Amino acid sequence: MKNSSSYTTVAYLFLAPALILMGIFTFWPVGYNTYLAFHIYDIAEGTARVASAEDGGYFTHFKYIYGEDLFHQALKNSLLYLLVVPCIQLAALVMAKLVNNKLPGMTFFRATYYIPVITAISVAGVAWAFVYKFDGMLNGFLTWITHFVGIHSGFEKVEIDWIGNPDIALYSVMVFTFWKGLGYYMVLYLAGLQAIPAEVEEAAILDGANAWDRFWKITVPMVKPTILLCTLLSTIAAMKAFQEVIVLTKGQSDTYTALFYVYDQAFRNYNFGRAAAAGLVVTFFCMILAVIQFRFFGEKK
Amino acid sequence: MAMSKNVRQALGLTGHYSGLILFAIFTTFPFLWALASGLSADASKMYLFPDGFWPHDASFMWFERVFQEMPFLTYTKNSAIMSFFTIIGVVVVSVLAGYPLARMKFPGRGLIFVAIIATMMLPSEVGIVPNFITLKNFGDFGNWIQESLGLGSSWNMREWIGLNSYFGAIIPNFAGAFGIFLMKQAFEAIPQDLIDAARVDGATEMQILWKVMVPVTAPSIAALAIFTLVNAWNDYLWPSIVMNSKEKLPLAVGVFNDLTGPFATSDNILMAAIVMTVVPVLVFFAFTQRYFISGMDGAVK
Repeated sequence: MKNSSSYTTVAYLFLAPALILMGIFTFWPVGYNTYLAFHIYDIAEGTARVASAEDGGYFTHFKYIYGEDLFHQALKNSLLYLLVVPCIQLAALVMAKLVNNKLPGMTFFRATYYIPVITAISVAGVAWAFVYKFDGMLNGFLTWITHFVGIHSGFEKVEIDWIGNPDIALYSVMVFTFWKGLGYYMVLYLAGLQAIPAEVEEAAILDGANAWDRFWKITVPMVKPTILLCTLLSTIAAMKAFQEVIVLTKGQSDTYTALFYVYDQAFRNYNFGRAAAAGLVVTFFCMILAVIQFRFFGEKK
Repeated sequence: MAMSKNVRQALGLTGHYSGLILFAIFTTFPFLWALASGLSADASKMYLFPDGFWPHDASFMWFERVFQEMPFLTYTKNSAIMSFFTIIGVVVVSVLAGYPLARMKFPGRGLIFVAIIATMMLPSEVGIVPNFITLKNFGDFGNWIQESLGLGSSWNMREWIGLNSYFGAIIPNFAGAFGIFLMKQAFEAIPQDLIDAARVDGATEMQILWKVMVPVTAPSIAALAIFTLVNAWNDYLWPSIVMNSKEKLPLAVGVFNDLTGPFATSDNILMAAIVMTVVPVLVFFAFTQRYFISGMDGAVK
């Protein structure tokens, strides 16, 4: 047999490309980001220097974002964004339940539900911007409805500025996230549902349980591991949401999210240090959320 | 039990399909609307419901205008190049790393695996600032090589590996936890006998991987390649940060910039461009659908 040290060398050689690339582009950024957060980065020179007393001390970036309303609002918006999580989970599970059978057309519906997932967020965002604008399709639809029901008459139109009005813009962006992610979680739930033996449900039908009871008392408990996975994934995704903001509102009308703030500071303000500090705060929040969820679901198991 | 069984069944089925159709409308309406508007020479009814959802005065003129008003083919070419090399990179890195993690015993295996999985929890977007700086340094390094070799400035090696290079736009995506995990799962499902037989025959680990493991896991590799293609094709954020010359932009960035920029002349061209960007992905998806479901399935289990 081969000796074990050369065997280990081979294993590490196989792992080398992955480890080197992850080292450079995944792990190094975590360390360097922390470093940057306490330094002043000069874009033109490409150098970082320690934040001195004149700059406001070692914690200058943290002090700045601590006192800045925009960052507070961004954090608040990111937490508010978590509202998407339960909605998307429930809808995706219902969706998966609907397509998990052998009726005709199911392949078609599954594919249809997956379309938003496989379109580029930028292009889908442009389409939605046109749905949302004040003379856009959504208002056209609502106008039609109100005429139909008779609330409005004649040439009156619904003119709601869905992504321009600060009171509702964030929710509109959340609906876009919901639309974009639904199919992804549907597929995950479908995998979970297909692991449930058909007999369980058939037995419940024989016992006279209705669809509502079967859903809450059989389906939900049986796919609990998938629910944990999906909740974790979608919570992190919601906390990290910001590409939606870039493509839909560019941060206007009070839609800054935490990571959009990071992006904005880095590539519009070119203040890399401040962006890094804000990024560190976001990472911290993400970790807390992950730990809470593991605790919460771990105990229930 | 007032209703007969048949009536109840028919009602249930109607409800079932109504649910399916409602979801289908929700997930596809922006694209259906874009398609109808892109095909309408008469733009006046675009924002009316329900008239906006079918073509008025159907023609392909807006689609032709797309080619005239934006370098659509250049963008497509860039997307194809970047997606192709991303697939090669991801598959090679993931296969190489997945094998030792699944089938070899060596010190540090557990730790490395946990570290790779932990990267899924980190908000990777926080890494954009450090990665931007890293690539800037790569570019400087390329420039240094060029100068040390005494090559003329026309070589422009800074843009081979640094910012504004294809390499820079895709390299951070090569090593991902998802791909490594998917391949590890695939390799673990292979019977040990197959590997033992090859070892008895005196095969090296590289030969086992290449001649035994890779052919057997071809479906998983295909699934990984397809996933990677869709992700690479749709990647918006990182290319939009790295690339600054228009002739190097991929579709997801170039089309977005042109649609939201000052050149956006007519809403119908915009809709036609959206359709043209989405359709290739949809056609591809239609043919490879089953891999999406089975690939995700594998990753969950």
